[in-house]
Amino acid sequence: MNKTIKALILPLIILIIWAILTTYTGIIPSYLIPSPSAVWVAFENLLLNGSLITDTLSTLTRVLLGFIIAALVAIPLGILLGWSKNANDLSKYIIGVLRPIPPIAWIPFAILWFGVGLGSAIFIIFLGSVFPILINTADGVKRTDKIYTESAYTLGASEFQTLKKVVVPAALPNIITGLKVGIGIGLMCTVAAEMIGSSNGLGYLILTATSMLDSASAIVGMLAIGVIGLGFDYLFRRAEMKINW
Amino acid sequence: MSFILKNVDKSFISQGKELEVVKNINISVQDGEFLSLVGPSGCGKTTILRMLAGLDYPSEGEISENGEPVTGPSPNRGFVFQQYSLFPWRTVLDNIAFGPEVRGVDTEDRYQNARNYIEMVGLSGFENSHPHELSGGMKQRVAIARALANDPLSLLMDEPFAALDVMTRHKLQEELVRIWQEEHKTIIFVTHNVDEAVFLADRVVVLSKSPGEIIESFQIELERIRDRTSPEFIDLKKNITSLLEK
Ligand SMILES: Nc1ncnc2c1ncn2[C@@H]1O[C@H](COP(=O)(O)OP(=O)(O)OP(=O)(O)O)[C@@H](O)[C@H]1O
Ligand SMILES: [Mg+2]
Repeated sequence: MNKTIKALILPLIILIIWAILTTYTGIIPSYLIPSPSAVWVAFENLLLNGSLITDTLSTLTRVLLGFIIAALVAIPLGILLGWSKNANDLSKYIIGVLRPIPPIAWIPFAILWFGVGLGSAIFIIFLGSVFPILINTADGVKRTDKIYTESAYTLGASEFQTLKKVVVPAALPNIITGLKVGIGIGLMCTVAAEMIGSSNGLGYLILTATSMLDSASAIVGMLAIGVIGLGFDYLFRRAEMKINW
Repeated sequence: MSFILKNVDKSFISQGKELEVVKNINISVQDGEFLSLVGPSGCGKTTILRMLAGLDYPSEGEISENGEPVTGPSPNRGFVFQQYSLFPWRTVLDNIAFGPEVRGVDTEDRYQNARNYIEMVGLSGFENSHPHELSGGMKQRVAIARALANDPLSLLMDEPFAALDVMTRHKLQEELVRIWQEEHKTIIFVTHNVDEAVFLADRVVVLSKSPGEIIESFQIELERIRDRTSPEFIDLKKNITSLLEK
């Protein structure tokens, strides 16, 4: 509780300064940054007409779907790359080249392959999530202390048993870090993902509000994405705390 | 289980240079023998033990087990590492039950077996602790229990009692002698503690400073459990110690 209060001090100070600079003195004109009260009004409107909730839910669905598919692909592949030097060497350049490409650059292909709509959005989020999970998993597997795998072998474990019972648990902290970073980047891709054929979602909300010069509503959408991110971060930190060995 | 090391050399390439670690090692270990390797730090004791386990390979020469060349690790050769090697994500009980678990022994049986060894190493009450909750000596006792619980034909032990106080160390030494007598395991035991080697082994092999070569072997015929205060015991210790101090 104490920590929560401490963590709220700075945001509160920023809120006060923001209010002073906009509402109370007008030093910053409202077309540059809307005042806190304008954002609050926009928030109330979006909440009351229900669109904030449906947008949040549809973004959450897309992000979770993209993220889960990314995890299902990246964790086994990461284990393979971390374990097999051959697999690692063979795929080094492919991953190295694909990874830096911004997911937004894939939009034309997303549309061609998955059409306009949900499939494309999930694909874009998948692209954002998949590499951090892959890289962290592979790294965790590679870093597994040799003494654990050697212990397993001298106790009679097969290679597969060693992977399952030793390497994966040893790499778990890295895998969780990868998931945490992966979902964060997935969330960062929502605006790009919802540029294609979506008619709801927080990214869509931000895009439409921006095009109508309704910056207060855009800030509501931005903050909602931020709060979702905070929630996931909390969940993953809880998971990390569980493995405090 | 018998072992033969024939003209074994081992070098490592480190920073582009070849480092000769052990040289011209010839040892023949009989089935059921208790052999101890002593020698100064860095003389290659761990390296020899790892090659016997199949975790490393000789650069020259051959190592065989029951006449077959050693090609990799096997559950028949239990290993107790010099460093901490417990799985940190497993409880004491699940660490000790690991070997039987991968062999497919059912939960009830392998836990019962693990509990027996927990009691033997004096750690009752710590079944559900994780390694990070144990002291150094306690971790080492769990590692010994883990190797024993897998019931290997031979045990390769790398300074397993180094982190223990004298009382516990003496108790476990006696326990090990008892297990060895009852279960007819072949044991190769590395230590830098001459007293320990003389107390435990049928034969003590003394290695020189790096690169390790065999200086001498001492056959020890004293009756077990050995009396540390007997003149023969003290004499043997003196002889071996003076060799090591050269
Ligand atoms: N994987 C390796 N790569 C390079 N050098 C190694 C490797 N393993 C061991 N060595 C070297 O081999 C030598 C012998 O090491 P080893 O661990 O066998 O000694 P030891 O007799 O067990 O010593 P201690 O009593 O201190 O445990 C050392 O000089 C060490 O630096
Ligand atoms: Mg050593």
